[in-house]
Amino acid sequence: MSDLVNKVAELLNAPVDLVQRSAEARAVASGTTVDAVLSSWAGGESVASAAPAAEAPKEEAPVEEEVVEEAPVEEEVVEEAPAEEEVVEVVGEIVEEEVFLEVEQESSFAFIGGVVAIAVFTFLLAFSIPKNQELAIVNDSLNNKVETTNDVIKGAQVYNELNCQSCHTQNVRALIPDTQNGRVLSNKFANEALIKTVGDLRTAPDLSTNNTREPTNNSQWLKRYLKDSTSVNRDIPHPSYTFVSESDLDYLITYLLSLGESNE
Amino acid sequence: MKLKLIPKNEQELSKFFVILFPLFLILSSAVMFVKNSYFTFANILPHNAIFNYGKLATIESQVSFNLLTSASLSLLFVYLFSKSLGRKMVLFPLAFLTLLGLIGVSFLGVIVQNSLVSLLTILILFGLTGIATINVLAKKENTIFSSAQHIYGAIVILFVATVISRSSLEIYSDQILVSSLTSSLINMTAIPLLFMSAIYFLMTKGLGATLYSKTLSSISFWGFLFLLPWTSFKYYYGSVLPNWLENVSIYLSLSLIVPLLAFVVNFIQSSQDNNDRSDRLLSQLNFSMIVFTVTTALHVASSFANLLPILGLTNFVYAIKFGYLSSLIIVVMSLILYLIPKLFGREVSYTNFDKLGLTAVNISLLLYLVNNLVIGINSGYSWNAGANAGNPTIYGEGFQIQWELISVNFMANTFISLLFFASAGLYFITTVKAISSGAVTTVEEMVSS
Repeated sequence: MSDLVNKVAELLNAPVDLVQRSAEARAVASGTTVDAVLSSWAGGESVASAAPAAEAPKEEAPVEEEVVEEAPVEEEVVEEAPAEEEVVEVVGEIVEEEVFLEVEQESSFAFIGGVVAIAVFTFLLAFSIPKNQELAIVNDSLNNKVETTNDVIKGAQVYNELNCQSCHTQNVRALIPDTQNGRVLSNKFANEALIKTVGDLRTAPDLSTNNTREPTNNSQWLKRYLKDSTSVNRDIPHPSYTFVSESDLDYLITYLLSLGESNE
Repeated sequence: MKLKLIPKNEQELSKFFVILFPLFLILSSAVMFVKNSYFTFANILPHNAIFNYGKLATIESQVSFNLLTSASLSLLFVYLFSKSLGRKMVLFPLAFLTLLGLIGVSFLGVIVQNSLVSLLTILILFGLTGIATINVLAKKENTIFSSAQHIYGAIVILFVATVISRSSLEIYSDQILVSSLTSSLINMTAIPLLFMSAIYFLMTKGLGATLYSKTLSSISFWGFLFLLPWTSFKYYYGSVLPNWLENVSIYLSLSLIVPLLAFVVNFIQSSQDNNDRSDRLLSQLNFSMIVFTVTTALHVASSFANLLPILGLTNFVYAIKFGYLSSLIIVVMSLILYLIPKLFGREVSYTNFDKLGLTAVNISLLLYLVNNLVIGINSGYSWNAGANAGNPTIYGEGFQIQWELISVNFMANTFISLLFFASAGLYFITTVKAISSGAVTTVEEMVSS
């Protein structure tokens, strides 16, 4: 059989292993043996008649007939030439099929389902377990009864508008554990504006215990510092809130003085 | 150069975003510079309702992380998504309007932050998720290309992030939970996914290489998608967040090493098959990969228990976010230079001037990243050292000690952002020069069916 394969490969000017694989695939497709396929290719006879993919070569038949009619002497030569073309086409088709089969179909539904499942999982976990757990802790806290005035809430709103939390946090960690910091927990029951003042970056001093320390527990000092920080300390950069109205500044100071009051 | 008011296909719309991104980059770098100036020169600059550090910090966050991300997402979606799925975009007019809406609402978010803007954002991202889903379902390729996978993941994550950001705050820890998760989803998940989508495209199509392994690509995609949203809670170690959540965050952060390795190996192996010998593109991709890998490695390394108390709530967290953004900026810049010949039919010349602009952007982003890492480590270290010595530097009295340690770096931030601003300007000139007067070349046919 190897001689036959070599012969066909030489005839088609194609690699031997490619011809062998193509012949095997064609044999399966056409329900014949590999030898029969190779013999047919070697002899220029198309086995495609048994295969569904043989329609295209059949269409070329009328052309062959015309040529034969015009030049009967060259009959053999004329027959061989189109046979080669047929075989090349058949081999090409089979190779394409093989490559196609190697690429697995990837389901769009499975992919979308996977992404959406992760998204839903993220969403649900973020909104169920942590909140419930912390609510239980807060409900057990002794500091639930601390009342927050409207002035403090207005001050927190000014604090948010000025984005003080871009530098100041109220996350005292390690030194005073947050869960024991009364003022921090009491914020829960106050207002969303108060909760938003947490802050993510501790670039500037922490303000959670502002009212428990000198001189930041002094309203006059705070007003002077907020209006012109250089009058207190030139080295530390702090915005001068000269553009903030007097009433807003008073609200802000009220809020700052409320921080840490229940911690003592 | 021809820009149509209403684009008819993906190619025409891509042109719009190719021009828009460099403009937003200039805007972002300008705001960053002004913000940092108000930190360094607070005592001599005038203060008003807009020009003060707090307001500028808000604007900078919106411009850098939201506007630039939206512009990147729009460009990647309109160019890579349909290309990756092997077909013309389904519902293209709707996609066009949605992307314009996304840019518009991101821009609106810079000026005003209110409930209406966030509702509009949710609506637009919901629409974009729907369009992306329909397009994935209608794909013509046998497999979903890696770029499309990553873009789809980023869109869904952004949508979830905006929904979560609107949740009601019931207790104090909710704010930490919500802000941390939102930031984590946008800055540490969606942005890296967008970065990877561009990398997968450029390291194959851009370099004329073949993807080394689809399996590794899937491992990195699903790994990052599942792990990254949960990795920022660790920076609140010891706070009011539930301890189990902080511990989960630590373990999941350590697991990031698996998708990171898969991604890096895939990139290295694929880019070795650089048939087009695009050295300039390859060096840009390498640089962005280094920034991304170092950022992720630091994100993983910060999970160790003895480092967390130092690094949490400091500029270190900002540096991680900025690292991911930087890698996205670098790769989108490369993508734009790759696309100019294909979309506008003009060659990019890469003169010394052009190379200078690109190098300056890379250096400034890297310096900014390193400088903020140093600020984070130094400030965290001084806080802890002060606390152990009985001098709490987190409070006003002791803050002077800590400020003396980090003030030089904050001053350096101002000058680095000035360099970034100047180099973004050079990059803009490079793109405009290439589009308007580059040598004429063949325009790419976008999609076949």
